Formats: sequence, C-alpha cells, structure tokens
Amino acid sequence: MELFNSESKKIISDPINVNNPISLQVLGICSALAVTIRLDQAIIMTLAVIFVLCSSNVILSLIRNYIPNRVRIVIMLSVIASLVSVVDELLKAYLYDMSKQLSVFVGLIITNCIIMGRAEAFALKNGPSKAFLDGIGNGFGYGLIIIIVSFFRELFGAGTITLPDGGAGYVLWRIPESWYAAGYENVGLLVLSPGAFIILGLVIWVQREMAGVEEDA
Amino acid sequence: MHSNNYTLGFVFIVTIILGSMLSFTKDSIKDLQEENLKADVQKTILRSLNFDENLLLSNELIEQTFKSYIDAKCVNIEGEVVECAIEEIDIEKNVDVLPVYIRKDNNEIKGIALPVAGKGLWSTIFGYIALNPDTESVLGIQFYKHGETPGLGGEVEKKWFTDNFINHPLKDPSGSVTYVPKKIRDASGKIVSIKVVKGGVDYSDTNMESIHQVDGISGATVTADGVTDFLLEDLLRYEKTLDKIRDYGTI
Repeated sequence: MELFNSESKKIISDPINVNNPISLQVLGICSALAVTIRLDQAIIMTLAVIFVLCSSNVILSLIRNYIPNRVRIVIMLSVIASLVSVVDELLKAYLYDMSKQLSVFVGLIITNCIIMGRAEAFALKNGPSKAFLDGIGNGFGYGLIIIIVSFFRELFGAGTITLPDGGAGYVLWRIPESWYAAGYENVGLLVLSPGAFIILGLVIWVQREMAGVEEDA
Repeated sequence: MHSNNYTLGFVFIVTIILGSMLSFTKDSIKDLQEENLKADVQKTILRSLNFDENLLLSNELIEQTFKSYIDAKCVNIEGEVVECAIEEIDIEKNVDVLPVYIRKDNNEIKGIALPVAGKGLWSTIFGYIALNPDTESVLGIQFYKHGETPGLGGEVEKKWFTDNFINHPLKDPSGSVTYVPKKIRDASGKIVSIKVVKGGVDYSDTNMESIHQVDGISGATVTADGVTDFLLEDLLRYEKTLDKIRDYGTI
C-alpha cells in the first residue's frame, strides 16, 4: 500500500474535518470541557491523546486476528489503560507541573470514548498502517477542537495565551494593563465549565456549517 | 469461536506483557519522579514563606534556595528541639516529632512554616502554613497534595483560596481599606486557628471573629470543614513551640 494515496489521505483528513470526533461524532466531550481552561494544558493533552490513540490503534490492529472475540473489550481496555498509565508516569517524571495541573484528566484518557471507539470501529478491522493514520487523524481532529476552545477560553477568560514549556507554562501574550484601565474586563464565565459548553457549542456549529453536515430531522 | 483455553491463555499473555511494560517504565523513571516530589514539597514550603517566584523556577534553584534560607528542625509537643530525620517524617501519622521550617535572612527569623495535613472529602490534604515571627499572623498557606474533586474541593490549592489567609480587609473610619493577614491567636494569645466559613466571611462590624475566618468554597463544604479541623488540630500541637518563639525569638 502506498502511504499517501487518496485513501490514506481520507483516513487522516476526514476526522479532522467532516467526521471530527468531537464536533461531529460528539465523543470525548468530558475531557474537551475539563482541560480547555488553558492553551498549554490543551496542547499537552492533545499530544498525550495522539500518543495513546496511535499506539493503541497500532497494537490492537497488529493482534486483531488473535484476539478472542468474547474478551476483545477487556483486551482493548487493558492495552489502552496501560498506555495511559505510561503517559501519566512519564508526565510525572518529565513535566511535573503539567501533570499536577492535568491531575485526574490524564488518567481519564482511558475513558475517552474516542480511543475505545476508534479501536472497536477501525483498528480491529484494518491493518496497522491504516490504523496508525486513523489515530493521527482522530488525534489531530480532537486536538484541533480543544485547542481552539482553550484558546478562546484562556484569552477571554483569563486574558493570557500560555504555551507549554516544561514548567508552569510560558506566557506568550497577556492583555496589557492599559486595556483593563480603559474598562476591559475578563469574562469570568469562560473559566467555569458553562463557558466551555458555550464555546464548544459555537465551535461545533461553525464546524458543521463549514463541513456542510445536515442532521436528519 | 476460540476455545476457552485459548482465550484464557491469550488474556494471560497480554497481562504479563502489559504488566512488565508498566513496571519497566515505572522503574526506569522512579528516581526522577521522587526528585520532583521532593522539590514540590520544598517549593510548597518556600511559597508559604513568601519567597519570590524567581527563586523557585527549577528543581536545582529550589533546592539551593531551600538550603541557604531554611533552618529545618524537629520539636516535640513540649516545644523542645529533638533529633530527627526530617524528610522521613510522616506528617499525617507522626504526632510526637513535629517538623518546623524556619526562614532566616541574616540569622533573623522571617517566618515559620509548619506542616498541616488532614482529611478532606475524598483524600488527605497536605500543606504548609507559615506564620510571621509574631507567631500570630499568617504569612502564607499552600497545599501541595490532595485528591479532592478538581473545580470543587480541589480549589484549596488555588491562589484565590490561599490568598484569603493573607488578605483581611480592615476599614478605617475614613473608609479606605487596608489588607492585613488573618490571625491564628485571639486577643488573649490563645490559639484559635482559622475557620473556613461556608458562604463567605461576614465582614460587618458585629462579627468580631472575622479576622479568624476565611471564605469557603461553594460545593466543597466537607473539604472546607476538613481544612478547619486539621488546621486547629495541627496548630495546637505546635502551641508550646510557637509560644517559645514569640517569647524568646528562638527555639
């Protein structure tokens, strides 16, 4: 199989656009609401999810013909849970501050429906290279949405743009004091969970408009 | 359909492989994790003692700052200094040997940090409360480990909550407001600790206790009550030590 023929391109680009796991399939909403307070958290979370998703897809695809059908869910869960634990331990060793901020949400990648969903729907039916591309596509599709949501939440909620730097985060830009003096105020609602719902709703709307998705009435 | 033996064998092998992968990972990065944990505790102590954030940027810097400014000692319940391996003390369980971290700038006491720990709703909350040399007003409080719900009880570690302890609004007759730290001793010098109050502190003139109270967290009453309880309990253990520092300026 040629790596970048039109079929592989479709495997990658569909989940980013017309079949996005968050905005179209509405999977992984829990973490999309929880870790989108700051941009740097969303970026690290995206990388963690991409790693887990690609690895679990490839591993499960490799052993797909040997997995007894009756225990496939258990096997899928154990593979995913082990990978998530590895990510969690690595964060604790190399990005301690970030791991404290993400707290339980790294562990909760296990319950992110995107990963289980892709394993069941794609990895168990396709070869490893396709499964890998599917992981990349869905991982970026997930990341794209939570990065957009966190960008707006942090900018308008806290007035900063923070990038990950291995420590407590590098503040790339901060709304200047003169704006606040002129009467500008941060929207506190966006820092809270309802703010995430509102932004996420708007993003889903825009994304569906752009992708031209029509819901059956 | 695979046979039962095949299924059992498959699950067994997968478990062995995944298990060894996990233990191998954990084992190879355990030292790094422990270093991070140690630095995090030291950072919490330094933060409670109001050190500049620029001195806390990396693990090396934290250790260096800690070594050069902090005098770590153990005391017993009578306020006498005792020998101990301070890093190995289990703060939650050990009630006989009590660690004290004293910030000294040029041999002058600038603050005293004391470990506090106790049950919240789901977990034990660990932190440090630092007092000014008067052993009465709070210099800072920081929590570094807990398993409370993020967004609810988990807010105890957030700046808005810990800042409550050092920002008590005092109105003077002209109407301008100055902020002073909360106090753990009442007017007679007795340790009354600080209460986390459900709903928020009543700052009207009729509430004489407001200097010993901080705002609670909505949705986290059990966590807040836990903090109230263990602050009092832990501070009382240090009563004799704190009296000594207040009266003699040293332990």
